[in-house]
Amino acid sequence: MNDQEGAAQTAREEQQQPSQQTPRPQPEQQQQRAGGPRGERERGGRRRGGGGGGQQQNQPRRPESHLPMEELRDLFALFTAHGLTEFEIEREGMRVHLGRNPAPQVVAAQPQAMNAPVMYEVPPQAHEQQGSAASAAKAAQPATPAPAEEESLHVIISPIVGTFYRSPSPTAEPFVRLGSHVGPDSVVCIIEAMKLMNEIQAETSGEIAKIYVENGQPVEYGQPLFGVKK
Amino acid sequence: MTRPLRKILIANRGEIACRIIWTCKEMGIKTVAVHSTADRDSLHVLFADEHICIGPPPSAQSYLNIPAIISAAEIYNVDAIHPGYGFLAESAYFAEICEACNIKFIGPRSNVIQMMGDKVQARRAMQEAGVPILPGSENPLETEEEALKLAREIGFPVIVKAAAGGGGRGMRIVRSEEELGPALETASNEAAAAFKNGDVYIERYIERPRHIEIQVLADEHGECVHLGERECTIQRRHQKLLEEAPSPVLSPALRERMGAAAVAACKKIGYSSAGTFEFLLDEDESFYFMEMNTRIQVEHPVTEMVTLADIVRNQIRIAEGTPLAYTQDDVVIRGHSIECRINAEDPETFTPSPGTITAFNLPGGPGVRVDTAAYPGYKVPPYYDSMIAKVIVHAGTRELAIARMKRALEAMVVEGIKTTIPLHLKIMDDPNFRAGEFSTKFMEDFLKKNGTKKPVEIAASSR
Repeated sequence: MNDQEGAAQTAREEQQQPSQQTPRPQPEQQQQRAGGPRGERERGGRRRGGGGGGQQQNQPRRPESHLPMEELRDLFALFTAHGLTEFEIEREGMRVHLGRNPAPQVVAAQPQAMNAPVMYEVPPQAHEQQGSAASAAKAAQPATPAPAEEESLHVIISPIVGTFYRSPSPTAEPFVRLGSHVGPDSVVCIIEAMKLMNEIQAETSGEIAKIYVENGQPVEYGQPLFGVKK
Repeated sequence: MTRPLRKILIANRGEIACRIIWTCKEMGIKTVAVHSTADRDSLHVLFADEHICIGPPPSAQSYLNIPAIISAAEIYNVDAIHPGYGFLAESAYFAEICEACNIKFIGPRSNVIQMMGDKVQARRAMQEAGVPILPGSENPLETEEEALKLAREIGFPVIVKAAAGGGGRGMRIVRSEEELGPALETASNEAAAAFKNGDVYIERYIERPRHIEIQVLADEHGECVHLGERECTIQRRHQKLLEEAPSPVLSPALRERMGAAAVAACKKIGYSSAGTFEFLLDEDESFYFMEMNTRIQVEHPVTEMVTLADIVRNQIRIAEGTPLAYTQDDVVIRGHSIECRINAEDPETFTPSPGTITAFNLPGGPGVRVDTAAYPGYKVPPYYDSMIAKVIVHAGTRELAIARMKRALEAMVVEGIKTTIPLHLKIMDDPNFRAGEFSTKFMEDFLKKNGTKKPVEIAASSR
C-alpha cells in the first residue's frame, strides 16, 4: 500500500516538473499589456501588417505610424522569452497585437477594428484557480497540461475522484491512444472509485493529442486527462 | 485494543480543517485535505501533507459528496476521517459508510448519531437516562386535538418545533389556545419544506432562558467525563455570536448537577468521542435538555482555554481506542474565556460581504488565540458560511477577559471586506453583557437599543 502511495506521489511529481520548468501563464497574466495602464495608450492611425514569416501586404503607409523592425524583433523576443500568449502595445498611432494561436503573429489593428480577437482555449482548471500567494507556495498541484507553446487543445477533465485506467481490463487494449479519433460518446478511459468502474466519455470530437496521466494514477476532480485536437 | 492512526483525512474546510491539522501535526499524524475547486488556495490545503480536489464549489458536489470523499480516502490510504463540524459531521449515513469501508470515523458510532439526530428519539432516550426534558409531546403530534390537550397540560406558552430539524425553522411560539391550530399548520409546512419531514411536536416555552451547554468526552470503553459548561446565550436568529466559559451564572453545585446529567446520559446511550449537551436554563435554575451535538463544536476553544484540554487530540486518542486520559477530578476550570465569531458580514445589516481581504492583522499577546483560515489576499468565497475567524481570549476573571477581548478586537485589522468586529466591540461595552445578565432575548434588545436598520424578528405565531 505504501508502494501505491509512493508511485502516485512520484507520478505526480513527474507531472509537476514540466510545469515548474516552463512558466505557464495564469489567467490573470494572459492579457499582458506592455506599456502600463490603458490610459497611456494613444489612439491614432493604424497600419495593417502581415503575419510573421507570411506575406507582406502592400498598404499605404503613413509616415508617422512606421514601426521600426528592430523594435518588432525586440517585442518578439520579449514575447517568446516570457512565454506570453497575448501582448498588445499602442503608441504613436500604432497598435501592435501579438497572439499565440497557433504560432505567434504580428497583427496591427485596423481603424474599423476588424481584427478578430485571438481565441484559444485554456484548460478548465485555469479559470478556477485563485492565483494567490498561497498557491505559489504549495507546489503539489496534480498534473497540469504542458505550457503555452502547445497547440490549443480541448482538455478532457476528470469528473470524479478515483484511479485512472487506460483499458477496460489489465490485459485489454487501451480505449484510446495518441492519434485516436473520438466522438462525444467515445469511452476514453475508466476511473475507478470505490470499486466501481466508471466509463468516462470524451464529450467532444477530435483526435487524442495528449495523455496527461498514467495508467493506475489517482486523479482528482477536474484533473486533466486527455488533450483533444479538434 | 488500540489502533494508532497514522493518516487522517479531514472532511471539512476553513478554520476547523486547519484546527484539526494543527493537532495532527503535534501528534505526528499525516493529514489529507479535500477541497472544492473554489478552495484550491485555502490554508488547510496549504498546510495538509496531501490534498485532493473533490468537486466544484457547491457543497453538495464537494464537501457533502460522500463518494468523492471516500474515494479520496481510499486513494490516499487513510486510517480515519475527521468530519469537523457541519457538513457530514452528524451524518449517520456517512459514519456508517466509513465503518463499512474500514475507515475510522472520528466520532460516535453511526447508530448513536442516528438516535441523537432525531429530536423525538433523543428526548425519549434522555428521559430514560433521567435527564430533565422540557415538558412536551412524546411523539410527533397526530391531531390538533391531541396538541391542544397536551398544551393545556404543559401550560402556555408552548413552542411548536420540527422533529427533524433545527436552526429556527419549523418553529412557532404559541401563547394562547386560539393560536395553536394555525401555528401547527405553518410550522409543519415549513418543516416539510426545509427537512422533508413535516412532523412537529410541542414543548413548554421558557420566556427568558439561557443556553448552557456541557462538553463531554467519552472513550470507547464506557468512561466519560464532562469539561464544564459553555454559555452560548448570545444568539441572533438561533445562530451563536459569541460564547464563554464558564457561565457567569452557574454555581459549582449547578455545574455538578448538569455535568452529572450529561455524563449519565452518555453512558446510557453508549456515547463515545466528543459531544455537547445543550440545555435551556430557566431563571429558577431548572434546566432542560434541548439537543445533543454528536461532534466537535465551533465554540470548543473556550473550553480548551479554561481546562487546558485539547479536544481534537482527545477525539483522536479516543478513536484509537485509548482509555480517557482524565477522571472527573482531574478536570479543573481556571479563569474565564470568551470567543467572538467574526463573520464576513455588515456589522449592522448582517448582509454577507464576500470579497478579497486586502489587509489582515491578527491580535496576539497574553491570553489571545485566533482560529482562522484567512490570510492577506484571501478571497472569501460566497459558497460557504461567512465566518472568517474566531477570536478567543483567556484571563483570570470575566472582567479581565472582557477587557482582553476589547483590546484584541481593536488590534484585529481586516480590510477589503466588512466584518462583525464593530458589533462585538459594542457588545463588550454593553452594560447587561458586562453584568452577565442576559437571556436569549439579548440580541433582540441590543439591536433595538443600538438602532439598527432592521430589527431582529423571531418567528411567532401571530404572523
